[in-house]
Amino acid sequence: MMDLQTKLREEAKRLLEEKKVDVVIGYEDGSMALRTTPCFVKDPRDVERLVWNALCENNLAKYLIGRTNKAAVIAKGCDVRSIVVLINEKQLEKENIIIIGMPCAGIIDRKKIYAYLGGADVKQANIENGIINVKGDGFEEKLNVHDFLHDSCLACRYRNPVFCDILVGEEIPEVEPKDEYGKIDQLEEKSSKERWQYFSKELSKCVRCYACRQACPLCYCKTCFVDQSFPTWFGKSTDISDTFSFHLVRALHMTGRCVDCGACVRACPNNIDLRMLTKKIEKDIKELFDSEAGLSIGENTPLASFSEDDPQDFIG
Amino acid sequence: MDKKAGNWEPKILAFLCSWCSYAGADLAGVSRLQYPTNIRIIKVPCSGRINPVFIVKALQVGWDGVLVSGCHPGDCHYLSGNYYARRRFTILNRLLEYAGIEQGRVHFAWISAGEGKKFAKTVGEVTEVIEKLGPATRLVKAELGNGKKK
Amino acid sequence: MKIHLWLLFLKMTLKILLGELMKTIKKDKIAKLLDFLADKYELFAPTSKDGLVVSFERIEEGKQAKLRFYNSNEAPKKLFFPQSETLFSYSKGGRETVPEPKTEQQRIIFGLKPCDTKSLSLLDKVFDTTDFKDPYYTQKRGNTIIFTLACNRPQSSCFCTALGLGPFLKEGADVFVVDLDDKYLFEPITQTGEDLLKEIPGLEEAAEKDISYAKELAGGAEAKITTKIQLDSLKEKLDEIFNESVWDEIHQKCLGCGVCTYLCPTCHCFDIVDEQVNDKGKRIRIWDSCMYPAFTLEASGHNPKPTGKERMRQRIMHKFNYFVETYDEIACVGCGRCLRNCPACMDITKVIEQINNLK
Repeated sequence: MMDLQTKLREEAKRLLEEKKVDVVIGYEDGSMALRTTPCFVKDPRDVERLVWNALCENNLAKYLIGRTNKAAVIAKGCDVRSIVVLINEKQLEKENIIIIGMPCAGIIDRKKIYAYLGGADVKQANIENGIINVKGDGFEEKLNVHDFLHDSCLACRYRNPVFCDILVGEEIPEVEPKDEYGKIDQLEEKSSKERWQYFSKELSKCVRCYACRQACPLCYCKTCFVDQSFPTWFGKSTDISDTFSFHLVRALHMTGRCVDCGACVRACPNNIDLRMLTKKIEKDIKELFDSEAGLSIGENTPLASFSEDDPQDFIG
Repeated sequence: MDKKAGNWEPKILAFLCSWCSYAGADLAGVSRLQYPTNIRIIKVPCSGRINPVFIVKALQVGWDGVLVSGCHPGDCHYLSGNYYARRRFTILNRLLEYAGIEQGRVHFAWISAGEGKKFAKTVGEVTEVIEKLGPATRLVKAELGNGKKK
Repeated sequence: MKIHLWLLFLKMTLKILLGELMKTIKKDKIAKLLDFLADKYELFAPTSKDGLVVSFERIEEGKQAKLRFYNSNEAPKKLFFPQSETLFSYSKGGRETVPEPKTEQQRIIFGLKPCDTKSLSLLDKVFDTTDFKDPYYTQKRGNTIIFTLACNRPQSSCFCTALGLGPFLKEGADVFVVDLDDKYLFEPITQTGEDLLKEIPGLEEAAEKDISYAKELAGGAEAKITTKIQLDSLKEKLDEIFNESVWDEIHQKCLGCGVCTYLCPTCHCFDIVDEQVNDKGKRIRIWDSCMYPAFTLEASGHNPKPTGKERMRQRIMHKFNYFVETYDEIACVGCGRCLRNCPACMDITKVIEQINNLK
């Protein structure tokens, strides 16, 4: 990956020097261990700030929306698909974007590392050759990156960008996901009441901060339905009925658009497993409409199209 | 609405498209067909007008059941409204059931303007299913509407 | 009256200096002590369902408390200023109002860290002023006794010392508790704390070595925090740079998600909504965030803070300039929750550093 980092910096430098873009949106080291942070490089001399490693978790597509200048964006497989959806939904002008595609074998979920370490405070971390070395007061451990990936990475089918202007490095082999719908299948086995209880419990953690919505590149409505007051669809307090409804409807609004980048789950301060809703819908549209979000420019999302033979066995 | 006293009657909200299903309901009335009076109708221009939010909101305010009906595929007055609706409803139906809303709370049907009998029959069937399920409680907001309390 | 209070203060200081009032209890007895408190008071303590994420919840039994932790995920402000709070109910379209019943129940919060304890003093400046006392907040505040737990092990994201506070800060505590490895040291800070300690059975007199070990731990804890912030002329600097372009850079990666404001122990912005069905309803206060676009959206459609830039500037200015202007204190306690939880890894200490470095 070091090699890719160097290549990435070269590409970024070239784009800025040739004035192809005004800014390169990428990642730089965060101010804490196990973190990177989005960075906006405007000067070609600053490209050394850019990093590429298994901690580059943010979906940078979010920073393209509403942008008035030309930008190059570093995008992993999932990020690229969300950009494709945004282009298809006419939220982005393709000519103002240069997609720097990064083949990605998975991003580390630092919460899994914390859990493994029993909540210890990691003060330093560095990754080399698929091993992450974590250090803190009184401990030092070498961990295998692949044992601590985000759940959304474990379900990933598109590790290589499906579309990009510049591909950094070589494509990596696509793999059958380790765990695509396991948790969904498990929950579907349970009774209606058990499922109700599961979601009620999980969603009772919600404090209505809307970080999930803000982090999601595909939530770009000027006024979100939950903020509407004429009419007021759902209340804004943490009443479980309102909260449950908010999450149900937000998941519905993501139908055929969600690329499972995991940004929502990462943003949630209370670790709510929102993917239990979005992944179910993803499973359904694949099964029912043979559709997956963000695979090609120009395709319509499943709810914006139809077939005369669509299933209707549930309709009387 | 006192469920304890055993005289609870389901309250069912129906979204009917004005060109087909609403006309079908009209025909049922004109034909003096009997069907349960538990139903309350909201007329929409097309089943494609129905936003899944309406159905989630209906369940929240305490409707015991929701019936959504439109023109048969191919017969939509607006040509394709019901095709889009069909896809929307498929996803919504599955998600609601998955999330723990009892199967049978939300029903979908294609009822044409000439199907007065079908309308009456559908309402009867839906009412029966909801009666068996009992009053809606799961998504119902506490102390809201219909005098219902959690 | 004043002389009386001064004498009381002198008496307590003397007693504390002489170590007379400090008590200890062996660690294996702490659960029983908490049981005792839970019997007489509504007891809140740090708890964890998964052993990792800590949250201050009401406990009935002492063994539910998890006393070895860095800090809770959510700020304990929720115990005084909850996310959703019904202010009153109404009927007849608002012509009749029914206030929410008040609870007279005395509460104890056990294990609040010094940063969070200090945050309550900062919230007091907003909710408990001479001109206006928020009854919902002040009532809870008046009924609550705070046992502050010293922070022996600050996290790498902590920076309380950079703000002139510290992991062993006693301000705001009724009783100050220190974890001495095999026992806990209790130091009464207020008269309420002293009176309460007298009630608790099984406490031993603190030994000289206990008190000096506590001091040693304090030094060690303070040394662990390495983040420094230049505060000297920060407020004046902020006054000058309001219209500078540096704000264009600072806000760029911010998603406007509001997690920082929700988890911040001193953030206190709120919205008030009425939820009504027919003619009956409730007026509810809920948390809001200056980071949301609609926060300052006016009925005319004008928004004085239309983009993330103005909103980020507002957040920094509020904490390090406006609050200082109005209340002479910085509205930040260095708990580090915003750093740890920001999805984009915004670092408020780095933002301040960037501002300080401006020519």
